[in-house]
Amino acid sequence: MLEQIFTLTFMTAFLAAAVRMAVPLAYAAMGELIAEKSGILNIGMEGVMLAGAFFSFAGAFFTGSIFLGLVCGILGGVAVSMVHGVLSIHLAKDQSVSGISLNIFALGVTSFLYKLMSSGDTYKQIDPLSRMRIPVLADIPLVGSALFEQDIMTYVLYFLVAGIAWFYAKTSLGLSFAAIGENPRAADAAGIPVHKYQYIAMVLNGILGGVGGAYLVLVQVGNFTENMTSGRGYIALAAVILGRYVPGGILAASFLFGAANALQIRLQAVGVPLPPQALAMLPYVITLAALLTSIGKNQKPEALSRPYVRGAR
Amino acid sequence: MKENRRDRLIENACIAAITLVTATVLVILSGASPVEACQMFFKGIFGNLNGFGEVFVKATPLILTGLGCSVAFRTGFFNIGAEGQFYMGALTSTWVALNLTGVPGPLRMVLAILTGFVTGGLWALIAAMMKARFDISEIIVTIMLNYIGINLLGIAVRTFLMDPAGSIPQSAKLDASVTLVRFLKPTRIHTGIFLAVAAVVFVWFLMEKTTAGYEIRAVGFNQRGAACNGISVVKNIILSAALSGGLAGIAGAVEVLGVQKKLLEGISGGCGYTAILISLLAVNRPFGVLVTAILFAALSVGANSMQRQMGIPAAIVDFLIGMIVLLILGRELFRRKAGRREGK
Repeated sequence: MLEQIFTLTFMTAFLAAAVRMAVPLAYAAMGELIAEKSGILNIGMEGVMLAGAFFSFAGAFFTGSIFLGLVCGILGGVAVSMVHGVLSIHLAKDQSVSGISLNIFALGVTSFLYKLMSSGDTYKQIDPLSRMRIPVLADIPLVGSALFEQDIMTYVLYFLVAGIAWFYAKTSLGLSFAAIGENPRAADAAGIPVHKYQYIAMVLNGILGGVGGAYLVLVQVGNFTENMTSGRGYIALAAVILGRYVPGGILAASFLFGAANALQIRLQAVGVPLPPQALAMLPYVITLAALLTSIGKNQKPEALSRPYVRGAR
Repeated sequence: MKENRRDRLIENACIAAITLVTATVLVILSGASPVEACQMFFKGIFGNLNGFGEVFVKATPLILTGLGCSVAFRTGFFNIGAEGQFYMGALTSTWVALNLTGVPGPLRMVLAILTGFVTGGLWALIAAMMKARFDISEIIVTIMLNYIGINLLGIAVRTFLMDPAGSIPQSAKLDASVTLVRFLKPTRIHTGIFLAVAAVVFVWFLMEKTTAGYEIRAVGFNQRGAACNGISVVKNIILSAALSGGLAGIAGAVEVLGVQKKLLEGISGGCGYTAILISLLAVNRPFGVLVTAILFAALSVGANSMQRQMGIPAAIVDFLIGMIVLLILGRELFRRKAGRREGK
């Protein structure tokens, strides 16, 4: 049993799977980070991802193109996040209520549309995105193939995380985008268009969440199932907290959750004598445990989930 | 902020119109005729006694879980975990009903329901403690606990609660003496509906007529204000969360004892999530929850009939209900410009 687990082949396969599981979480968590930095808590990330997953599947299925599928997924994600944007920015509604309602709505919409699409045929499949091996780097033992023998969306993520980190740490525009989540009144007084920036943040939130959802379909499995995100949007929220609102930290947290997921899949494949449900539970248990370690180190933006209404007290 | 009556009327009309148009479009998309679909919908609900009874069978867990959500929401504890609390209640109450064979049937039934209440409450308590003591988002925690609960039930029906005589993942059938009585045969209506209605009255009394309820509401209204007046925020969040989870746990127990008579996977049918919408639409008022839950149950019975007869996916209800909640949340968008400016 243990010998089977601690072999180089197992570890290599495990790490590769962990990265693949972590990528959609990391995309969604980056989107969530941008929204939360601007003061908008998007609990609806689950719905954003689900819409991204469904519409990318529908797009890729009907057009036969993965790229167009991705575009559809992004549009689906943006549509959901914009509803949240209008409700929480323009109408200053409770962001938890809006987010949860959106998640349930997105579940209903995607389930309904998928049933319509799949009536008659029981199983629809698209060809997933193929992998691109980066020479030399992929030959590094253990981690090489995990990091550099993936699909293009994984490579884009590396640059994205670095870009977001640079944006918030080094640019004055990044500072403005973070200021509106810390103290919108002061930001407003300093001439920063608070609501406009929040809308921009929500569009980015939708794009990245949509990509995260689309990744599940276009890279991981190649088809859609009802409620296929199964809590990943919420795990992305946890990744933001655990990653202390820093892109690098969030990437690491996503990897941790991805690893939990990969571990349960690999263990099932090896044939551990436990019911599959006991292993399927693992990512959720680890998320809870990880949240406990974040106690007392609250780095959340000061004005998170507090709507900013100009002139109100 | 003056609430303009005409504005309100226009908003409601807009919401109703959008819902009707969307429903018609969705039915046409499914390749069915809207008129026929409408007939099937009402025929499913009022066409025969069985269908009508089914409304109350489905309403029972919705009332209990919806009530549970409303109790938590009133302290500002956003309990999204009714689904998991339902599962835990169902699991433990089945264990009690199957294994405490030394206890006479009716008493065992009461014990099973109480066990459901306690485990559901404890399941919510985990999230409440993490929220109250460490300020960890109860939304994320309750969702994680939902998935853990669902998987625990999956483990249970494959191991210690699995029917020894069968090979499918479900528990053995409960003997008739522990189950809730079906008093209106041939419908499946069972005495659980009385329990649900009693719970509504109890929660109403607790919330509106007692000091404990007043404190719970005060914390939800203004945490700081409550604390300054000597009302413990931590205590009340924990109290309302436990009661909330307990009610969802009872729902799970009642579904096992009254409807399924055994434990199986997917037993909640997602009612823990529907409960959130019910509570939101009922503005967390107990009698509002009662009425809304029955309405939702009727919608789902009607939709099932449309699905059976005409192949329209029953998910159409989730689609429309989700949309209605969002439209109500964003109702100011339909307000005339002047009214909106006045509101700001």
